[in-house]
Amino acid sequence: MVGAKRASISEMATGTDQVVGFSLVVFSLVIFTYYTVWVIILPFIDSDHIIHKYFLPREYAIIIPLAAGLFLLLFVGLFITYVMLKNRKPAKKAN
Amino acid sequence: SRGSVLWRLRQHDSLPARALYSPLVTMTKLKQWISTLLVLMLIWLCLVQDVLSLGYSQKFHDVILPLPVYLLVTAGSYMLGTLGLRLANFNDCEEAAQELFQQIQEAQADLASKGLIL
Repeated sequence: MVGAKRASISEMATGTDQVVGFSLVVFSLVIFTYYTVWVIILPFIDSDHIIHKYFLPREYAIIIPLAAGLFLLLFVGLFITYVMLKNRKPAKKAN
Repeated sequence: SRGSVLWRLRQHDSLPARALYSPLVTMTKLKQWISTLLVLMLIWLCLVQDVLSLGYSQKFHDVILPLPVYLLVTAGSYMLGTLGLRLANFNDCEEAAQELFQQIQEAQADLASKGLIL
């Protein structure tokens, strides 16, 4: 009986979920491709090729991810601090 | 399963139990990950410092140097992409949710009639 009910439901995820999900996938693919070309492929291309115009100097290939990672850790730490401060129980007053 | 194999091995007292436990079998997942990362890090260090004096071109050195950061970025983007895929494919089951809610109501009524108020 439950199976017959399920056949009539549309089994798609809600709209915003799909949009956010697929945009995350596209975003991660873009990041991965750009970074791979930047770190691994660019050193083997002659320095007078036009493609170098689209990429920052290679020192930034190390600085940007490390800085982003540090900012992420900072944000996570601040969030944990905020949640812990919010959940402190007030001290009991003596009667 | 792996646990039962070790249990059976342990029951033979003629052999020292430790000798039968190879590290690959008894290592936890955390230790496996850490040892793999350690080995890769050592290989990378040897290549960067040119310990074996193999004399690489500058291009090779330019590619080898950022590899740990590259690994981090790849792992991060893989996690992000997998998260996005699972989010996009997660189904809402509207009727199943209503059915569950109805069953909870019935259970509450049933328990209340027997004296347990939730």
